Amino acid sequence: MVAAAFHPLGIFLFGLGGGFALPLLYRLGKGWLAGGFFLALGGIALASGAGLLRLLAGEPAIEVLTAGAMPPVSINLRLGLWEAFFAVSVNVTALLGAWRLWDRLRGSYGALLLYLILVMGIDGMIMTRDLFNLFVFLEIVSIATYGLLGLSQAPAALAAAFKYIMATVVASSLFLVGSVLLYHVAGTLNIDELIAGAGALSRPMGVAALLMLLAGLLVELKPFPANGWGLDVYETAPGGIAAMVSVGVSAGVFFALFKLAPLFGAQLGIIAFSGAATFLFSNLIGLSQTRTQRLLGYSSIGQMGLLTLALGALAQIDAADAAPLVIGGLFVNHLLAKAGLFWLAETLGMEKTDSRAGLRNHPLALALLGLLIVAIAGLPPFPGFWAKWELVMRLTAAGAHHWTMVILLGSLLEAAYMFRWFGLTLRRNTSARAGHVSNPPAINASQLAPPLAAGLLLLAAGGMAASMAGVATWLFVPLVAGAALLAIDGVLPGRVKAVAMLLVILAAGSWLAWPITGIAALFASLLLAGGLVIAAASLYRADARPGFYPLMTTLLLAIMTLLRARDSLSFFFSWELVTLASYFLIARSSRASRYLLSFLLFSLAAAYFLMAGFAAVAANAGSAELAALRLPGGGMEVAFILLVAGFLIKAGVLGAHVWLPGSYAEAEDDTSAMLSGVVSKVAIYGLLLVTYLAIRTELKLEAAHVMAWIGLLTIVGGALMALRQQDFKRLLAFSSMSQLGYIIIAIALMSRLGWVTALYLVANHLMVKGILFLGVAGIIARTGARRFASTGGLARMMPLTFLMMCIAVVSMSGLPPLMGFGGKWLLLVAMMEQGWSLLAVASLFGAFLGFLYMIRLLQGLFAGPRAEGQEQAREASVFLLAPQALLAAGIIVLSLFPKLLFEPVSAAIDPQFAAGLVWEGMSLEKIYAAWNPTPALLAALGASALLFAVFWIIWRRKARTGGLARFYAYYRMVIGRSLPPVAILFWDGVAAVATAAAKLARRPYTGNGQTYVAYVIYYFLAVYIAGAGLGGLTP
Amino acid sequence: MSIGVPVSTILMITGFGLALTGLWGMLTHRNIMRIIICFVLMGTGFNIVMVAGGYVTGATAPIIDRALGAAEAGARAIDPVPSALVVTAIVIGFSVTAVMLAFAIRLYAAKKTLSIDAFTESKW
Repeated sequence: MVAAAFHPLGIFLFGLGGGFALPLLYRLGKGWLAGGFFLALGGIALASGAGLLRLLAGEPAIEVLTAGAMPPVSINLRLGLWEAFFAVSVNVTALLGAWRLWDRLRGSYGALLLYLILVMGIDGMIMTRDLFNLFVFLEIVSIATYGLLGLSQAPAALAAAFKYIMATVVASSLFLVGSVLLYHVAGTLNIDELIAGAGALSRPMGVAALLMLLAGLLVELKPFPANGWGLDVYETAPGGIAAMVSVGVSAGVFFALFKLAPLFGAQLGIIAFSGAATFLFSNLIGLSQTRTQRLLGYSSIGQMGLLTLALGALAQIDAADAAPLVIGGLFVNHLLAKAGLFWLAETLGMEKTDSRAGLRNHPLALALLGLLIVAIAGLPPFPGFWAKWELVMRLTAAGAHHWTMVILLGSLLEAAYMFRWFGLTLRRNTSARAGHVSNPPAINASQLAPPLAAGLLLLAAGGMAASMAGVATWLFVPLVAGAALLAIDGVLPGRVKAVAMLLVILAAGSWLAWPITGIAALFASLLLAGGLVIAAASLYRADARPGFYPLMTTLLLAIMTLLRARDSLSFFFSWELVTLASYFLIARSSRASRYLLSFLLFSLAAAYFLMAGFAAVAANAGSAELAALRLPGGGMEVAFILLVAGFLIKAGVLGAHVWLPGSYAEAEDDTSAMLSGVVSKVAIYGLLLVTYLAIRTELKLEAAHVMAWIGLLTIVGGALMALRQQDFKRLLAFSSMSQLGYIIIAIALMSRLGWVTALYLVANHLMVKGILFLGVAGIIARTGARRFASTGGLARMMPLTFLMMCIAVVSMSGLPPLMGFGGKWLLLVAMMEQGWSLLAVASLFGAFLGFLYMIRLLQGLFAGPRAEGQEQAREASVFLLAPQALLAAGIIVLSLFPKLLFEPVSAAIDPQFAAGLVWEGMSLEKIYAAWNPTPALLAALGASALLFAVFWIIWRRKARTGGLARFYAYYRMVIGRSLPPVAILFWDGVAAVATAAAKLARRPYTGNGQTYVAYVIYYFLAVYIAGAGLGGLTP
Repeated sequence: MSIGVPVSTILMITGFGLALTGLWGMLTHRNIMRIIICFVLMGTGFNIVMVAGGYVTGATAPIIDRALGAAEAGARAIDPVPSALVVTAIVIGFSVTAVMLAFAIRLYAAKKTLSIDAFTESKW
């Protein structure tokens, strides 16, 4: 009896038996009804789960034969690994969904019955090996869906359900006629026999039958543009039911397509194209959607499109062995994340994407929403991430670049609207004013359980996918450490958590960094030490800061795993973790809400460039090791350009910088220091990595020259924009961008000297920006001011901050004797050696501009009269001053003993690369000694003084009077007039074009069911003509 | 009486004609009741096509008895499988029609009209 219950046939026993028993139990009482329902549904889940366990233990696929006969006489059901995996996933989701829907279901035994039959039908679609039986289960599922959709009372929901019925009846009619025609041709309905005799199906009638079958299945998957009926249901159905349609019914239909795929050998192109168009266009149209459930509908349809594309494209390139990770991963990712999002959106009463602003007050709900959105966007550590990576690798290796582009573009669009939704919930609660929702419903904790369970299952599935992808376990240290700190986040006071964070980062970070060698080791020690010092500044705040400490831990440790990574997947995983941790850290500041989306989108665009670039490298070198970047060989130009583009976007070069100032300036003050000082160096490390690649491409120095000019434009552009700022934190943000330009030039030199300089500048920038941002943090904490207009005369009240910031400014501006001088000087030498004299002169001009805005910073903050109401301002907290002092000490030590940095750097850079380019075997010390810095210094100082005089005279001739502040005000105006915000206008234009395209692409959705039926028929005709040609229309 | 055309061909033409009539009707009529009737027409048409697909000219009913031995059933009997499938399809079509009619009643109750054009609340 018990053994029978756990046989896969139990699924149908429980489904049908439960269905018949429910009306009887209803007579007995509500308790009986609920018990019976969950017994049946749980039985279905257990039966499939037991089957999965048996299969995992190595048993062969379980065959169920009806009436004791063998197929094809009997109808046979099969539970193999694939079937069991899909069935268990659907059944577990259905259990959670029933919990979520309980309020709606428990009132009526009809609803319970329909739900049970729906789940059983989906399992039947998954397990059956008979084509006609598949049709019967499809209809069982459809009718149960119609019934569940009818539970809603709203006219719009009923209308949508009717459209859904009309479209799906036409689709299933196609499927039915196709099956019977196939029987006519092949003489069997057994899927295995059909596949075995697939060759005989190439007759015209066989092709026609296959195309009808295929069109029926594709339409059931809601392809663009024949999918308005599906979207209407997603929008209007109760969330729990929409979730079941989105993940459950679609899973059944997709699995049908999956198991019939061997029949469609000649139609793989159609399948892939249908999926690609759906993925791209649904995600495009999602951009202009504001109703949450319809938004999720677009995402849902897009995800099914991606699965369809993966199915078709993998079969096209003969990479069936990738299917478990790619298709399994994408499927389970969509199943759990989308269901969880539907449930959560309904629980939170989010009718529109902006109807639940102010979700900050509900950390659990907010964290869940963030987690599920990260998962649906295919970011780590969730299964979608591993699946998408594998898919892109396989497609690129096979030369299917068009599909790669579709996948990356569609993913970016999907992330855009999903994260915009997340950003809207972070805003202050303005919904009452806007009149959307007067009183959002109170959150019932037990209703959060289903989405929470989905989130936990997603994490587990992500771990499994990672082990399938074969990555090392240390890659997960950042997440585990973050989770550990999250566990104590709610209970301990702020400063205790800060200490715990520092200890964890120190311990885990050192452990992670231990085996690192070469340049990466230098970065690791610099960034770990700098990161710890800056992170220690968080002690200056005593409040609880929910989420801050876990995220900071993950961020810094992810940087360590990135540096330790030896293959591109580990690198990319860590890269995405760094992006996500930074995103959520920035999101903690409510002022940053406006800038969050651009931060994320530019980061993701950069990441997708990297993904494509790594895929191109792997396809070219046949290895996913990062060391492949250094192998000799040609034909890597595309890979080089993709990788460099990705790293430059993330570094925030001029043109792609629009994400940078807002997020740096509006993040919390110590987070800004971390972002600018430490996190920005990750992109620099990446650039250094790929320059190895550049040396062996044909592009070589031409490309490097372009990169150097980009760096220069970034220096000058960043400096000019910094000069315009009246907000001193924003000024620092632009300064950070400008300073990275020097490092980019240094890397672009492609010489040993250039790289040594780059490392030197990295160290300098880390310490300088750390001090400046932390100093500013102290000033903001003490005065509450952010603008020059409301500060001044702080030198006497905050002398230590003043001293530290002076050291930093001197070092940054390249004045002797501090290390900034050495760095700038080295850079000039290296540029002159390369013969880039124009660049060298232009970068001197940039340095002059930097000098100007730094004087502005010091003058505006510390000189002049005190601002009103700040007479009582005290020196900054010791917790801010101590890290600054440590960084300042670092500057001084490295200024006095540059060998401490030079020697390991020089040793780390493989002499093989650089020797032939410029460096002639001289030790750095010799170069340093051979060049007398004094004339260069005097020339630089003289040039600066001269330029300053010129600018001053110009200003005076305009008959201006007044002090330095007026001088800056004048040039602020001049720069403002002569420097329109080209980049911002450009990117606003891109966004406007995308939105307009989205509005255009959704024009076919008229809302009329009849039109939708016509689209279904057109879709069938299109599939038919694509598969059989125009000649196929005549007998 | 024979007109020289196998009955299966006549059935095929009739069936496809009915199905196309149904399709045409569901795209041109605005009234939901008429649309549902057209769905039934389409279904019936396809059912006839499928039954005709199993027909074997000159063969008899697939009932094995004295007149039709088991050995010769393969050659002399028409293929019973399409008929069996159609029976199932009819049952399914019946229940789908019932569901559609139920929706029609509730749609009419909601808006006091049966014009499909009145039910376009959700779009885009």
